[in-house]
This record gives sequence, structure tokens and C-alpha cells, in this order.
Amino acid sequence: MNPADEMTPKERMQAILQGKKTDRLLVSPLILNFAARSLNLKVKDFCTNGRNMGDANIACFKKYRHDIVYIFSTTSTLAEAMGTRMYFPEDDAPQVEIPFLQTREDITKLKPVNPEKDGRLPVYLEAIKRCVDAIGNEVFIVPVIGAPFTTSAALRGTETFIKELYTDPELVHAVMKVTTQSVKNLIDAFVKAGGVPVTVEPVATGSMISENHFRAFVLPYLKEVYAHIHSYGLPGVLHICGKTKRVIQCMAESGADILSIDNIDLKEAKDLVGDKVCLMGNVSPADGMLKGNPEIITTMVKDCVTKASDNPKGFVLATGCEVPIKTPHENVIAFLEAGRKFARLPIHFN
Amino acid sequence: MHREKSDILQNLAQAVIDMDMTRARKTAAEAINAHMDPYEAITDGLARGMDKVNELFETEEYFVPEILLCADAMYAGIEVLKPYLPREAAYHKKKVVIGVVKGDTHDIGKNLVKIMLDNAGFEIHDLGRNVPYAKFIDTAGELNADLVCLSTLMTTTMDGMQVVIEDMKKAGILSRVMVGGGPISPGFAKNIGADGYAKNAAEAVKVARGMFQGIQIPLVIKTPELVSIRKNRGGMQ
Repeated sequence: MNPADEMTPKERMQAILQGKKTDRLLVSPLILNFAARSLNLKVKDFCTNGRNMGDANIACFKKYRHDIVYIFSTTSTLAEAMGTRMYFPEDDAPQVEIPFLQTREDITKLKPVNPEKDGRLPVYLEAIKRCVDAIGNEVFIVPVIGAPFTTSAALRGTETFIKELYTDPELVHAVMKVTTQSVKNLIDAFVKAGGVPVTVEPVATGSMISENHFRAFVLPYLKEVYAHIHSYGLPGVLHICGKTKRVIQCMAESGADILSIDNIDLKEAKDLVGDKVCLMGNVSPADGMLKGNPEIITTMVKDCVTKASDNPKGFVLATGCEVPIKTPHENVIAFLEAGRKFARLPIHFN
Repeated sequence: MHREKSDILQNLAQAVIDMDMTRARKTAAEAINAHMDPYEAITDGLARGMDKVNELFETEEYFVPEILLCADAMYAGIEVLKPYLPREAAYHKKKVVIGVVKGDTHDIGKNLVKIMLDNAGFEIHDLGRNVPYAKFIDTAGELNADLVCLSTLMTTTMDGMQVVIEDMKKAGILSRVMVGGGPISPGFAKNIGADGYAKNAAEAVKVARGMFQGIQIPLVIKTPELVSIRKNRGGMQ
């Protein structure tokens, strides 16, 4: 245990979920592909092999003792399992190469996933199981799932898909129905493996689509996803990066209990939706974690805590989006140390 | 009987704003039937519509799907008018090389900037996505480009922009450089030696115009692929 802590990450999270007292706030940099670095792995070798993915996350946790261990490679993993072809750079997250739904008619070939068999989902499952076995008594293992709209966009090609919000709404809903079922299948498999799944919906960011489209095409399916997660007695977590001011009200109506947000002022978010949902964020991944230094990061952490630690429904200190792969080790340490220092309850600043 | 010219121009603009390809084509055909100047139909009709779209994007009434569909309508109208345009003499025009840097295949942001700069009268050379650094430098050199636009959505690839800028300098290429994309901040742009930063496609037009302030960009129509159009704005904004 880190000497500054009085509880394990798991005890802390459990206490928070049960509304009990904790030693401090949750401090959760979004360590995703960055975990590969703890075993000096290239990202490709990390995300295509369950043993590597699990062991790197275990080593990473032992090094940093962060409050949540995420299992993730890309937001398109579910689309990949449903048929989208990916491009795997040597040392970066996979990206969409050829979307599965090349024509409207291809929808007939689209099937909900079998997580035990399809794509790299077995890699995720193995990684989760290894982590649960090794460190699951101390920390929650949290696999990250691309939510229905993001998965659908990766299946159809994002530009085509978002144009079809106008030109072919019927197709959009048809794709969304299948991807929602896939998300639910994956939640079932991840829970069974001992994980606590969370969802990310970055294609529905306020920089991309309007609030009206969010309400019509994104919200109903997110509601279905969080109802499913709640049926396991687990909290719903919704991450959307980019600008979210325009859609944060909708996000708060989705049934998600925690909103992980990026490019929005935390005070503003607190004023808008803090009475409904727990907020999570939002130290800048680029200007802070990657390009900043310990001093800059400490200031950013302090700023986040100052703005949001009194959020009525709670606050989790996090980065706004993924900790970049090339983030210097000392910057991650600075984030965690500043978090442990400032996020103690009750909050006092010198 | 043909409608009044101003009606047709207004309808062309409105078809673009309404994302209506069919109406853009139909109204463009009406313009031809009414013996209107095809240049005027583009600049004072379709492009004026796209200017309005740009404003709606800036004020967050329009988002990405709307811009993509408005651009489709604009290009549909231009397709109809194009055969009636006189063959072009070579004009001096500002050349822009644009692309997403190596390692990144996210290109929606780049495509929006391309649409907006095209509409603003720049000649666009789109290198696509996942573009090797050397390709930017070679193309900028060959074309004697005025501006190179670099885009990325990812923190893992943003440092590639600096490589491009430094290699351009080493190669003695004097094109100006504008950068943008999710993780890019004005501070980062300055640190890597970029000449400009734009936070979105609407701003990219302002920044690009600002770089070439006082230099007249004549109306240019290019036949293949994307058509560059520019309405006579009476000076830069």
C-alpha cells in the first residue's frame, strides 16, 4: 500500500459506492495503453495478447497503486469483433481500417458478438481474469467498452454514419439495435470474468453531433446499456471526451452514475449536472500529462479538486482522456502524489 | 418562365443550408436555363450558402453531419454548373497542402477544414490520412505551396507535426504551417514553430486568411476533383 493511503483502492471504491466515509477521493488517471510501458511492451504486443495485456496492467498497478485498473486498447474493439478490419501500428492503439458495413445491405450480415470467440474480445477476457486473480482483492478491474453509437460508427465508417442521421435514420437505428445487444453481451462476459465494465461514447461528443441527434440516436440506447449494468448492481460510467458542454445534460439523463469528462470546465459541469451525477476528470492528457511537468500537473490537479471536490454527487480525480503512451513516468507520479495530497477529505488547501 | 435571378441565387444558397442535394442540382439547372453566369451562381449562390453554414457551425447550431451534407449539396450544384464555365486561365492562387500526420487515420476534422478552405478560395491539395512526414515536404516543395495544414486527433502522433516543420525548414521550404486537432493547443503550436493554430474549421479559414492578408485571391475554378470557389468579398476579413 502507498504510505499516504489508509485503504486499498477496492475498499475505497466500495466505501464510496455504499456512501460511507473514505480516506480520500478516488484518484484515477486513465491508464489504458500506457500500461504496456510497465513491461516495456510495444502497444501492438500488449493489445493482441491477453497474457501481456493482463501482466502489464498488474505490473503497472504494482508500480503506481492507482485506484482503478482499466482494460482497454481502442474504442473500436467491439466493432472489430463484429467485423470491422483494424490497422495495428507497432506502438500505438489500433485504428479502423475498413468498416464492416460497406453497403446498406451488409446490415443483414451484422450479428451481436460472442465475446468468447469474436475478434480480440478473448484477449480482453484473459487480461481481466489474470488481473482479477493477481490484484482483484485490492483493486477493481474495469474493462472499457465502446458504447453503441461509437461502435456503430466504427462499423459503418464515421463520416457515412453521421450523415445517415439525416439521410437514413432507419439504418442508423437498425445498426444501433445490434450494437446495443453486442454491448450487453460483452457486459455479461466481462462481469462473469470478474470485471466491472464501463462504457465510452466519444463519437457522440458535443464537437461532433447536436443535442437533438444525441437525444434521438444515442440516449435511448445508452439508457438500455445502463439499465443492464444496474441489473448487476454495478454503477454505470459514461466517458465522452472532447467538448461535452452541449450534451452533458443528456449524458446525465442516460442513467450513468458517473460522467467522465474531458474538455469542459469542471465547475460548469458541477453547476449543470452535479446534483444528478458523480463527475470524473479532467487533467489535460496532452498539455498536462504528455507535455507538462510535475509542477504543471500538480497545479492542474489542484485546480480540478478545487472546482469539483464539493460536487453534490461526488468526484473522481482523473485525466480527461487516455494518459498518452509516451507520458513521462514522473508526470504520472506527480499526478498521483498531487491527487493523494489534495484529494484528502475534508479538503483543505494551504 | 424563369424566376428572378436573385430568387435563384437565394434558392441555391438555401439548398446548401438545407443540405438538399436534389434542390441544389435542380436550382443550378434553373440558373443555366435562365442564362445566368455560372460563376455568379456558384459564388453568390452556393458559396454564399456555405458561408452561412460556416457561421452556423461557429455558433454551434450546425455540427459535423450538417457540414458534411451541406458540402455535398454545394458540390452537387457545382457539378451541374461546371460544364458551362469557360476554360480557366491560370490564376495566381494560394495553394494549400493538407493532411493527417503519419500514425493517425482520423480524418473528419481535416475534411472539415478542407471543405471550409476550399469554399474560402484556396486551392486544396489533400494528401489524405496517415501521411508520411516526407510526403508533406515533397508536395509542398513541388507545388511551392503557400500553406501546409497538419491535423491529428491523437497525442501519440502530435509530435510528428514538429518533425514536419523542422524538416521543411531544413529543406528550405518557406510554406507557412497551420496545425490543429483534438490534443493541439495554441501553446503547443507555438512551441513547435507553427505559424498558425485553429481550434476548428471555421477558425481555420480566419487564420489562413489572416496569414495572406492584403493579397488578392482571384476566383479560381479547377475542373477535376474539388472545385475551388471564392466569392468576391471585397477584401479580407
